[in-house]
Amino acid sequence: MSKARLLRSLSAGSVLCLAAFQASWAENIDADGFKNPLQQLQFNSQQDVFEFERATLDALHISDPLEQWNRRVYHFNYRFDQWVFLPAVRGYSTVTPHFIRKGVSNFFSNLGEIPTLANNILQLKGHRSMETTARILFNTILGIGGLWDPASKMGLIKHKEDFGQTLGFYGVPPGPYLMLPFLGPSNARDTGGIVADFSLDKAVDWMNMAETSRRNPEIYGLQIVDQRYITKLRYGQLNSPFEYEKIRYAYTKARELQIAE
Amino acid sequence: MCKRLLTPLLLVLSLLSTFSLSSQAKEVSTDYQFPLHSPFEATIAGTPSALRPPLPDSDNIHQHDYTLRLRPEREHSLPSNFWPVKTFRYRLASQKGPAPLVFIIAGTGAHYTSGTMEYLKKLFYGAGFHVAQISSPTSYDFMVGASPYATPGYSPQDAFDLYAVMRAIKQQQSNLEVTAWHLTGYSLGGLQAAFVSHLDEREGTFNFKRVLLLNPPVNLYTSVSNLNRLVHTQVLDEQDPRTFYQLMLDKITHYFSSKGHFNFDEAVLFELQSSSQKLTSNELAMLIGSVFRFAAADINFTSDLINRRGMITPIQKRIYDGTSLTPYFKKALLCDFECYIEKQLLPLWRVHFKDKMSIRSKGSDLEKLTYASSLYALSGYLKANHKIAVMHNADDIILGPGDLGFLKQHFGERATIYPYGGHLGNLDYRDNAADILEFFHE
Repeated sequence: MSKARLLRSLSAGSVLCLAAFQASWAENIDADGFKNPLQQLQFNSQQDVFEFERATLDALHISDPLEQWNRRVYHFNYRFDQWVFLPAVRGYSTVTPHFIRKGVSNFFSNLGEIPTLANNILQLKGHRSMETTARILFNTILGIGGLWDPASKMGLIKHKEDFGQTLGFYGVPPGPYLMLPFLGPSNARDTGGIVADFSLDKAVDWMNMAETSRRNPEIYGLQIVDQRYITKLRYGQLNSPFEYEKIRYAYTKARELQIAE
Repeated sequence: MCKRLLTPLLLVLSLLSTFSLSSQAKEVSTDYQFPLHSPFEATIAGTPSALRPPLPDSDNIHQHDYTLRLRPEREHSLPSNFWPVKTFRYRLASQKGPAPLVFIIAGTGAHYTSGTMEYLKKLFYGAGFHVAQISSPTSYDFMVGASPYATPGYSPQDAFDLYAVMRAIKQQQSNLEVTAWHLTGYSLGGLQAAFVSHLDEREGTFNFKRVLLLNPPVNLYTSVSNLNRLVHTQVLDEQDPRTFYQLMLDKITHYFSSKGHFNFDEAVLFELQSSSQKLTSNELAMLIGSVFRFAAADINFTSDLINRRGMITPIQKRIYDGTSLTPYFKKALLCDFECYIEKQLLPLWRVHFKDKMSIRSKGSDLEKLTYASSLYALSGYLKANHKIAVMHNADDIILGPGDLGFLKQHFGERATIYPYGGHLGNLDYRDNAADILEFFHE
C-alpha cells in the first residue's frame, strides 16, 4: 500500500516537473484554436533518410537458425494456451478466492528467491544478496512459509536473477533464439540457465519442497497453473501476423536490459 | 506521391469554418488540469494513475469472449498459420439485469482487448452499461475474420462491415436484455462510428440513442500524412552509428542502471521524462510514427495475402506453420499508409465503389476517396443530428489546420475541445471520463 502511494506521489511529482519544464516553443494557435503540434518537430531535410526502415530492418537481425522449428513450437504453445492452459487458469480463478491465489503466488515466489539469491551471489552483487536473504527470512518466518509478503511492505525490493542472467553478466552470448514448448521464448544460454536453476532448487530442497513435491506431484501442477496465472503474456495479444518476430525482438532486448542493470 | 490533397472545395470549406465563429464549441472549464502539456508525451504516456477515474476491478466484471463464423470460406483457403483469426472474436461484458449497451470500435490496428478498449469497457461497465468491444476494421483479426474485401480505409465499406458484425452480435446475444443501444469509437474507430450511425439511420437495426466520436480524424488523408511524417523527425546525428531503436534502448538502459533496479511499470515513463535520459519530442514523435508504421505493415501484408495480389507474398507461395514470414514482414514495412492507399486501396475502390458513389465530388480519385471516407461526407448528417457528439484535443497530432473549425461548425455545442492531451492521452483523465459518462447519461 505505502509503496503504491510512494509511486503515485513520485509520478505526480515527476509530472509536475514535466509541466514546469515544457519546451517553450513559440506557439502558433490557429483562429479555431488548433495548436498544430507538428510545428514543434524538426524534420529531416534530406528526402533519403529512412531511419524507421533502417532501424527496423536492423532489428530483425536476430540469430534464429532453428526458425522453422521455433515457429511450429510457437503455434503449438499458442494452441495449448487456448485449449488447455488458459481454461485451467480460468477454472483455478473461479474455484479459489483472490486471497488464496495471492497466497499461492507468494509461496512459489518465495521459493523462487533461492535461485535469485544464488545468482546474486555469483554476480557478486552484495547489497542485493543481503536484501534477498532478508526477504527470504522475513517472508518465510513472518509470512508463514511465504504465504504473505511482508518483506515488500518493509520496502525490500524483489530482484529476480536467474542463471541465464549470471551467464550473460560474465559475457556468455545468448546463442540462437529458442521457442521452448510450454515455457515460451528463450535462447540457448537462458535454456541452460533454466536447467541449472531447476537443479539448484532440487539440491537445496528449501523447506523440503523438492522432496514433498516428488511425493505429491499435484504440487507441480499447482505451481505450473500459478505460473501461468501470474504471467501476463497472451499469445495473439499483439494481434499481428508478425507476432513471432515481435516477441523474438522483445524477448532478446528485455534480457539484454535485465543483464545490463 | 500526390500531395494535392485539398480540393478547392475542401479548402473553401476549411477556411469558412476557420472564420465562422458563430457556432461555438462547448467550453472546457478553465481549470482543466491535465498535467502533460506536450502532445507527444501525452500521446505516449497517457494519464498518470493518480489522476484517472475509479474503475471496477476485472474480477467483478462478468465478461466473455465470443466467436462468430463470418467468413467460413477462408477457413480452408487461407494458410493454416492464420488459424487464430479465421473465426471472428469479440468481447461482451454483461450486467445482471436489463441495461443499455455500448458498442466500442477500436482505433487503427487495435484489437478488442487493447488497453484503451479495456479502459473504456471498465468505465462504461462501472456506470451500469453492457459493453461490446469490437476490433478495428484495420486490425489483423477483423480483416481476416470479418471483412469481405479485407482492404480497409474506405469508411462507407468499413462501416458496412462493422454493421454486419454488430448485427451478428445482436443476434448471438438475443437473450441479453438491452434497453437502449449506444455507440462510440476512438481515433479511426470514432470516424467509423459516425459512418455506422449514418448507415443505421437507413437500416434501423439499432436506432442508436447516443453516438460519441473520441478524437476521430476529420480528413482521413491529413491524419495519414501526419502519422507518416512522424517517422521523418531528426533523431540521430549523422555520425551516430546507432539506429533509432538502439538509441532508445541505450537511454532506457542508462536510466535503469542509474536507478539501480529494473522495474517496468507504468510510472517508469513519467520518471524517465524527468531524468537526464528524457526523450525529446522528435524521439517521441518517431516512436508514435513507428507504431503506426507497424500497423501499416500488418495491413499491407494481410490485405495482399487474402486478396492474392502478389505484391508482398508471391501468389503461389505455400505457407505452413513453420514458414518464415520475415521476408514478407520486411517488404510490408517499406510501404507506409500513403503507399498502401495507392497500391491496394485505390485500385480496389476504383473497381468496386467508384461508380456507386452517391456523393459527387471533383478532383482526382484519391481526392474523391478521401472526401468520401472523411467526416466531410457526413456534413449534413452531423450538423442536423443531435445524438452525435465529438470530443477532441486542440493539440491532437492527427488533425490538420481547419479540422477543429469543421468540428465546431458542424457539431456546435456537441463538440468538446480540450486544450491538451495529444492523441487520446487524456482519454483516461478523470474530467474526460466524467464528460464521456455524462453524455451517455443525459
